[in-house]
Amino acid sequence: MTRISHWPFGALAVCMLAAMAVTGCGLFDDDGERAPEIAFAPHAEGYAGKPDFAWLEHRHPLSTADLYKITPQNIAQLDQEQVDQIYARLSAGPIPDGAFDGDLFFPRGGSGKLRLSEIAGGGLKGLLVNVAGGKLDLVGEMLWKGKVFYRDERLLRNRIEDLTTLRKLGLVEESADTPLQKLNVGGKDQWLLFPAKLYCGQSLLDGRRESIIIDYAFTDELPGYRRMPDLLAGRNGFAIRDEIRMVYPGFYLGRAYMDRAFVVNFVLHNAQMIAASREAFLKTGQVDQDCWSGTQQRLIAAAAGGG
Amino acid sequence: MMRPSSQVVLAAVVFIAAMLAPPLPLAIADAPAASPASTPARIHAQDLPYYEACAREGLNESECAGRLIWFKATAGNERFHTYVFQQRVGVLIDWFRVLRSDERGDRFRAWGIINDPACCVPGSPDCPAKSLDETYGLDWCPGDEELLPHVGRSGYRDPACDFRDAALKPGDVHGPADQRHDACDLRFGTSTGALGIRKFPNPRFDRAAWLKLNGSPGTWEGYNRPIAAAGGRGEAARSHLQDGAIEPPFLIGTSCGSCHIAFDPLNPPADPARPAWENIKGLIGNQYTRVSEIMVSGMASNTLEWQMFAHARPGTSDTSAIPTDQVNNPGTINALINLGKRPTFANESVIKWRKTASCAKGDDETRCWCEPGRNGKCWEKSLHKEAVHHILKGGEDSIGALEAIQRVYFNIGSCSEQCWVNHLADLRQLDPQQRGFGQTPFDIGQCRRDCPNFRAVEDRLGNILDFFMSAEGHATDLREARENTLRVANPGARYTDQDLIADLERTFGAGAVARGREVFANGCARCHSSQPAAATGQLAGLDFHKLDLKTGLREDWLGNDGPTAVSEVGTFRCRALHSNHMAGHVWQEYGSETLRAQPPDPNVKEPGDGGRGHYRNISLLNLWAHAPFLHNNALGPELCGKPHNAANDFYAQRPRYVDASNVKLLPAERQPACFEYDPSVEGRFKLYTLSMQALLNPAQRIPKVTLLNEDVTLRLGPRLWDGTDKERLLGFELTIPSEIDGRGVTASTLGNFQHKAFIVDLVRAKTAPDELERSLAKRLGKESARKVLADLQAVAREVTGKPNGLVEALRARPYLIKQVYSSCTAEVENAGHRFGEDLSEADKNALIAFLATL
Repeated sequence: MTRISHWPFGALAVCMLAAMAVTGCGLFDDDGERAPEIAFAPHAEGYAGKPDFAWLEHRHPLSTADLYKITPQNIAQLDQEQVDQIYARLSAGPIPDGAFDGDLFFPRGGSGKLRLSEIAGGGLKGLLVNVAGGKLDLVGEMLWKGKVFYRDERLLRNRIEDLTTLRKLGLVEESADTPLQKLNVGGKDQWLLFPAKLYCGQSLLDGRRESIIIDYAFTDELPGYRRMPDLLAGRNGFAIRDEIRMVYPGFYLGRAYMDRAFVVNFVLHNAQMIAASREAFLKTGQVDQDCWSGTQQRLIAAAAGGG
Repeated sequence: MMRPSSQVVLAAVVFIAAMLAPPLPLAIADAPAASPASTPARIHAQDLPYYEACAREGLNESECAGRLIWFKATAGNERFHTYVFQQRVGVLIDWFRVLRSDERGDRFRAWGIINDPACCVPGSPDCPAKSLDETYGLDWCPGDEELLPHVGRSGYRDPACDFRDAALKPGDVHGPADQRHDACDLRFGTSTGALGIRKFPNPRFDRAAWLKLNGSPGTWEGYNRPIAAAGGRGEAARSHLQDGAIEPPFLIGTSCGSCHIAFDPLNPPADPARPAWENIKGLIGNQYTRVSEIMVSGMASNTLEWQMFAHARPGTSDTSAIPTDQVNNPGTINALINLGKRPTFANESVIKWRKTASCAKGDDETRCWCEPGRNGKCWEKSLHKEAVHHILKGGEDSIGALEAIQRVYFNIGSCSEQCWVNHLADLRQLDPQQRGFGQTPFDIGQCRRDCPNFRAVEDRLGNILDFFMSAEGHATDLREARENTLRVANPGARYTDQDLIADLERTFGAGAVARGREVFANGCARCHSSQPAAATGQLAGLDFHKLDLKTGLREDWLGNDGPTAVSEVGTFRCRALHSNHMAGHVWQEYGSETLRAQPPDPNVKEPGDGGRGHYRNISLLNLWAHAPFLHNNALGPELCGKPHNAANDFYAQRPRYVDASNVKLLPAERQPACFEYDPSVEGRFKLYTLSMQALLNPAQRIPKVTLLNEDVTLRLGPRLWDGTDKERLLGFELTIPSEIDGRGVTASTLGNFQHKAFIVDLVRAKTAPDELERSLAKRLGKESARKVLADLQAVAREVTGKPNGLVEALRARPYLIKQVYSSCTAEVENAGHRFGEDLSEADKNALIAFLATL
């Protein structure tokens, strides 16, 4: 399995992707899970051979039972086209509230290798990658644990577990007067950094319905913003913009972009929410939609007897 | 607000009464209960001037319905112009900058926008709105008394819901019951004060957040205020226009009329900023619109987006800028006049959807589809031979007039989310295996099924086509225009054909008109006449002014619409290389097979396959009213609006005349003066005369080239700002300098640069050099292929591990960007069409005189 757990905050991890492409270091673990068995439309290798999402959804709608075959763990077994085909068949769902655990997984090609290492026999990577060692360490040690949504304020913060390197480099502004905001999860402190705005907006992959957008462009206007390290994610930094859609209540699939270029998939999940809503959602397939859900009839068959 | 004459009011009342008369009993009897035609129609105040215009123009019920749709229907594109373009495409429109009511008087000069006569500036005498705060800074327009209270709330009932459909036409395959889609999905909203630009209340608007950002409801200045980039180094300023969390008070949409509504050449306004309804027509095409600048009005000028969009001349737009084909090719808005006589081409192979009453059980729905919940409202996709028009500049949009009209709605953003943004190329996607690397074809069947606005328009395309064929699209002759001018002072004045000839001959010489007819017949009519005899050289006795007495239309379209190889006509060739209708590209389904089978122009060095490489011959009908000339409005004086707000003086920001030897802008003192917008009869005639002189004297034309007016940095990939110095970790940065080796760089260098092909070949130069060399040799020849390969390998070496090195690597080899990886290398925009340059001065004058009578 090519997945990363406990990995750096959101899209910053693209730098690590680059590093791995260069060094080939074995940072991906294989936990042995199998990919979810759901229907995908056939697709060819090139962009022109990918199925249109509207037809995909029309011909291969996902039932609630299908959705519950997908887990935050097994989705990383799929290649990028399959992940895209799942994402396109999801709706935004409600804007989440509360703390969610997070994991990242990188785009993989049909060969099962990292997509970057496949492009033109890997020739692209040498041209794209220019990673300064110090900066790589910087992002590599920012452990990202997930996100906390403040639904009513349309605000989000990221949960970061270890700030050692950032502190060493002097990139964390803090003082006794302005302590970092913390959250205790499972008896462990996590720092709340990188605030972002939350709103319904355009998916950069699938325009047929809106996604929930996590936008760092104007992070400097949000309460609790501290210049360092938060500006790394903002419009003068990596210009990160995430979008998420709901797989089922308590579980969201996301895509992170840097300066409008897609870099990494991620999942957000809250075990309590998943457990609490599973039975009802399996039966009805219904959930509140905060965002524009489009005009294509979305077929979602509720499972008769659960999943 | 202007008041129509009492006769027109009376006629309008009669017309409205006719519109409201019960439909034929048969239609009522067969109509489903929810049929829009059976719903009692409410006449909105905002519709009254439209019905008055229908009466004035003598339009019938169907033509009038089509006119109303053409002027008002956005078909849902307010989401495109508020969300999709900004967030998905990444281009920002500053609607307040364009529509702010306190600059209503400057709007035409700045943006070529035609003010809606029914709207007013809040606080002005008799205006129902007393302050800009009431209207959020825009004009007050009829219908706003219902719309404004819904800003920030749901529940707005769109005026289109009360649209009064014309009776269904007898014999409609989907009849006799009226099964047209709900008219609500036409989406009218209310005017913004600019004709063709419509507004809708934004239910997501948060007044408190708006006040916090802007200070007061009547301004958007916190929303659009530039915010300097922290990193410097030529980075463009940002603004909250890119902040998707900010919901403006209105969603702004556009109708087809936003580009096609124009001043009537027969009855122009005394003051273009204050037109009356009588001065306005819907089919001429706005010759002054700066729609391209409107579309990037929220972008800084040193952005890629600004440079790619904001280069079109007034009256032109690059309709493949959003569904980008990376061929920079703005073209004029087609004048839709005398369409009943426009040539068609028989026996073209056309694959399209056609109405049918049923599909066979088990039919593949990609071939035959019936709308659920309807009775026999089905469509079947099939290949047939048909007689079709060649609509666009290169003959594209060639599967039928109705389909061409429907595609206009996609040009203006309708159904973008449901049907076409997923098919566009993403300039940032560099992986050929990923979606967005290139275009994929728009699917008409899918769009019909999934986009209700598509169906609302499609079910009324016949009305719009009827409007196109109506009296409003009749010719606008110079004789009549001058007569109307005389009648302003003397209502009984007459100005005959003989008066016109006499006046023309006073200017262009005795006998000029008759001699000009001979010159035209012998030298021009082969292409610029639709009479069959002209094509065969039987020119004697042809009457180019002949009227069809039955329809009132001019018999001769004054153009054969046939394709001419671009190298033969010699005009700026980029538009002829437009590629969106090729197989596999976004508008594939709107091109006939016959068009795509057309062989390329062998004299064009850039790729020109898939039916490209030609221009259709255009109509010279009413040429006097349609200068400057050529598909890009480049031949003749440059137009300028000279707005009072210098920030909107786009001509001043981008002069065009260059020194041909080094393609550098001429100094200001040598730039010919621009021609200030003047839609009056004599203003149009003067512009026509100057443009004709430029046409017939190509040796005297000063070359025009649209150049970059500043360095532009393309950034492809992320960056890191560490608070002290910006460092680029990944991706390319490519600065296009405005000058290379003392030679100016054209603005289209950016738009035409095939950066994806370049990057893919850069990789192949490392990984598969032999294969790359073979493919380059096919395109460029062996010798050039060897040089290009060697340079690509050198570039790859120079930039490996050093992405910023690309700038210098390419600066040393500019031909890679400007030639090898360019979709179009043409530079001079007013070149070509040298026909007539060898005529004597007397014959040139004669031709100018004669053409003014057409």
